[in-house]
Amino acid sequence: MENRIDAWLILAVISIVGASLVTQHAVAEVVGVRLLARQLIWAGAGLASILVLSRLRLDLYARFAPALYVLGLITLVAVLFFGDVRSGTRGWFAIGPLTLQPSEFARVTTMVMVAAWLGRRSGSRLSFKGTAIVTALVGTAVGLVALEPDLGVALTYLPVLVAALWLGGLPRWAWLLAVVVALVIAGVSWHTVLKPFQKERVLTVLDPERDPFGAGYQVRQSKIAVGSGGLVGEGMGQGSQSLLRYLPAQHTDFAFAVWAEATGFLGATLLLLAYALLLFRIGLTAAVAENRHGLALSILVGAWLAFQVVVNLGMVLGLLPTTGITLPLFSYGGSSLLSTCAALGVVQSVWRHRLVNQ
Amino acid sequence: MEIREDLGPVRRRAVALLAIVFLLLGALHLRLVQLQIFEGAHWRRMAENNRLRRIPLASVRGRIYDRRGNVLADNHPTWNLLLFPDEAARLDETILFIASLGVADAAALHERVAARGVDRLAPLVVAEDLDWSHVTRVRAHQSDHPELSVVAGFRRHYPFGPATAHAVGHLRLVSEGELRAAPGLDPTARVGATGIEALADTFLTGHAGERWVVVSAVGRQLGVVRESPAAAGRDLSVTLDARLQRIAADALGERAGAVAAIDPDTGAVRVLYSAPSFDPELFSGPLSPEDWDRIASDPRHPLQDRCLQGTYPPGSTIKPFLALAGLTEDAVTPDWTVYCSGSVVLHGHPFRCWRRGGHGTTDLEHSLEASCDVYYYQLGQRLGIDRMARWLGLFGFGRTTGIGLPSEAAGLIGTPEWSRRVRGTPWYPGEAVSVSIGQGPVQATAIQLARAYAALANGGRLVTPHVIVGDGGTQPFDLDLDPGHLARINRGLEKVVHGEHGTARSLAALPVAGKTGTAQVARLVEGVDSDELAPHLQHHAWFVGWAPLDHPRLVVALVVEHGGGGGSIAAPSAAVLFSAALDHGADPTAPPPAGE
Repeated sequence: MENRIDAWLILAVISIVGASLVTQHAVAEVVGVRLLARQLIWAGAGLASILVLSRLRLDLYARFAPALYVLGLITLVAVLFFGDVRSGTRGWFAIGPLTLQPSEFARVTTMVMVAAWLGRRSGSRLSFKGTAIVTALVGTAVGLVALEPDLGVALTYLPVLVAALWLGGLPRWAWLLAVVVALVIAGVSWHTVLKPFQKERVLTVLDPERDPFGAGYQVRQSKIAVGSGGLVGEGMGQGSQSLLRYLPAQHTDFAFAVWAEATGFLGATLLLLAYALLLFRIGLTAAVAENRHGLALSILVGAWLAFQVVVNLGMVLGLLPTTGITLPLFSYGGSSLLSTCAALGVVQSVWRHRLVNQ
Repeated sequence: MEIREDLGPVRRRAVALLAIVFLLLGALHLRLVQLQIFEGAHWRRMAENNRLRRIPLASVRGRIYDRRGNVLADNHPTWNLLLFPDEAARLDETILFIASLGVADAAALHERVAARGVDRLAPLVVAEDLDWSHVTRVRAHQSDHPELSVVAGFRRHYPFGPATAHAVGHLRLVSEGELRAAPGLDPTARVGATGIEALADTFLTGHAGERWVVVSAVGRQLGVVRESPAAAGRDLSVTLDARLQRIAADALGERAGAVAAIDPDTGAVRVLYSAPSFDPELFSGPLSPEDWDRIASDPRHPLQDRCLQGTYPPGSTIKPFLALAGLTEDAVTPDWTVYCSGSVVLHGHPFRCWRRGGHGTTDLEHSLEASCDVYYYQLGQRLGIDRMARWLGLFGFGRTTGIGLPSEAAGLIGTPEWSRRVRGTPWYPGEAVSVSIGQGPVQATAIQLARAYAALANGGRLVTPHVIVGDGGTQPFDLDLDPGHLARINRGLEKVVHGEHGTARSLAALPVAGKTGTAQVARLVEGVDSDELAPHLQHHAWFVGWAPLDHPRLVVALVVEHGGGGGSIAAPSAAVLFSAALDHGADPTAPPPAGE
């Protein structure tokens, strides 16, 4: 018995991608490159991948998880040797006119692997060995991404690890320990690893006016764009912030600000609702999953998406420091769009086969 | 059948995660309410006050110094007027205001605003080199026109003006092709167009910077977003001697011609002066169409660099090289004589000596001293055109000298093969007779002659002329000449100035050796005296020589277009230059005495 695909989730995806395409079109001239056609093709491929991947039975994902995971690692290694460099990061394969970013796809295979491993074990608490295995699975991929170095993408693997450990169940003392270790690392890196501009970004969140034309510039411009959208917005292609290029990274990191300026509180709320719907449907999929594997898959994907949505919007709205994490399904980027859709396709497999995988 | 596993604890954890996510989404939505609903008016006001500008920062072009430290090219600070078209509330009014200042044309401004690219935050430079009165008027209306901004810039200045115009060169606007290749370039940037400015352009050019600033609604700068500073170009030392340039300019006066002077030991160029000259600063700022028409349509072609691009028949100045060829090739001996009766018949045509009465019995040294044409007609017949061409080629004729300045002409050595291949007409044996006195199909530039004479003065090494200090890396080419032969030739050239029959005796007071040359422009018809020719058919007058005699330090090649006789016209002009150079004692190129 096979269920139909989750129409609510598809509705959310199409709404978000549609809003994204409208925004990309509006900023095309300002950004100076016509990216719309390319993004349209990626969107089509993404929707197709949801449909295809949702048809595969869930136990196939469990069986082929190790192979997929290793394949993901191989592409991460290969890109270190054969990849193209963009702004200092060796993270792209150029295939004809297309560029693929393996770190986006390896995140999906890593989630599939971790979920498969969690699905096979039983018991309510992770053992020390189990914790180590989960950490090693995610850590290996993160390490390779960090070598590129692409710290922004590496950061997006973090929610996968946290959600896996949370689901697997760590004793309280382990969480306490993790928090203490994280604080120590943060403290030490503040004085050693973090570069002055990175510290400025953090301090700017605490005190937005401390350097309005330096580190605070992007966030300030973003807030001006969002805020001047008002209730109903200035209209697509009308916003002075976006149109006059005061706003940086309009088609990627700060794309939401363009949308919010153009469509105002109403449009921004609708987009936020679309993300809420998307995450709710993923959560619902986890709730109806009849086994540990399906539940873990849904939660890992959902946790990762929620992380990126919250961190990106937090940045655009001036609540979190600038990190370069994009808004899934909305920011420009083919690999990100396609890999997000692929992950959603896997979640849809859980949904469609929720009654036959027992 | 498998027993259903108990998902209870895992589900509870999943629900907790979901709850956290929705709490965070709710917080984000509250933030939206705050920014867009409650603070919307505030941020909208910020947006109106929020003007980002990209201000180009001009880089200072390197100065050019002569060998004594005189500044040949400098930069004067100026005021430029910038327009930020996107900020103008009513662009038409702004353009009319600019036009009312009289610094730009309204129609042209409209076109430029319409033609600017996607790079919207960059300003248009609507006027350069503003007067103080313009600056004060713009400043007075600053609050009406915040989209206008007066900024500091630089304008290239040449202290020696026309005296060094060709050698130092001038600037030009960057071309559209260059702008396409380097989109970051400022469209009003200027690059070297000619002379040293072009040769050393990459050395002299720094790179422009830019500053992103936020300005208030009335154009007041609120803060700097980021800045990449401009880097100044490097200063350049050249081998030229500005004082001698000026004296060369005075020596030629109103006449058209060229003066090239080099150090015979190293090839360092001391003088490159071409007359008539022009004001190179015309090209430092916007060039008015009137100025351009005036300079481009001048029938005397002031923009042409006659030192490097003016090719003239060398006339008798070619004789020392053919004499040397004759000696080395054993075509003649130093004591071989020719009887000059004033003309000789060769290949069925009479060829005249410049001296109607003839020179009588003439040997090698006397042939140079008195510049006997008949001697060289005969010598040329013995050598043949191919050997003459080879020897002239050895001394650098017929090819560029490698001085490195743009648009150098190669000159010409006519040969039968050249005639067939390039000219497409048969070679007449009579042409070889003409070549042997530097007439007919043989042409040279002043710098070529200076270089060739430098090889006579320095003992037979062909140097490469160069203008940049420290650029003398090209090793002189040893021509492997017989010192005895060279000494005989040089004694002949000494007698030109100091001998009883010398053609340049007007220089006799100076320790100079050299050769006069009178290059015919038109063939003289029987019975017409050269003095009666129309000005544009008058002969070109040459003098090429060096000083001092014991250790030559300066070779001068001077040509006066349509000047008349080399001895009567060119030699006295050269004398001015030599005596000025020799003012510094026996060494004409010694450092100037203190106080100069």
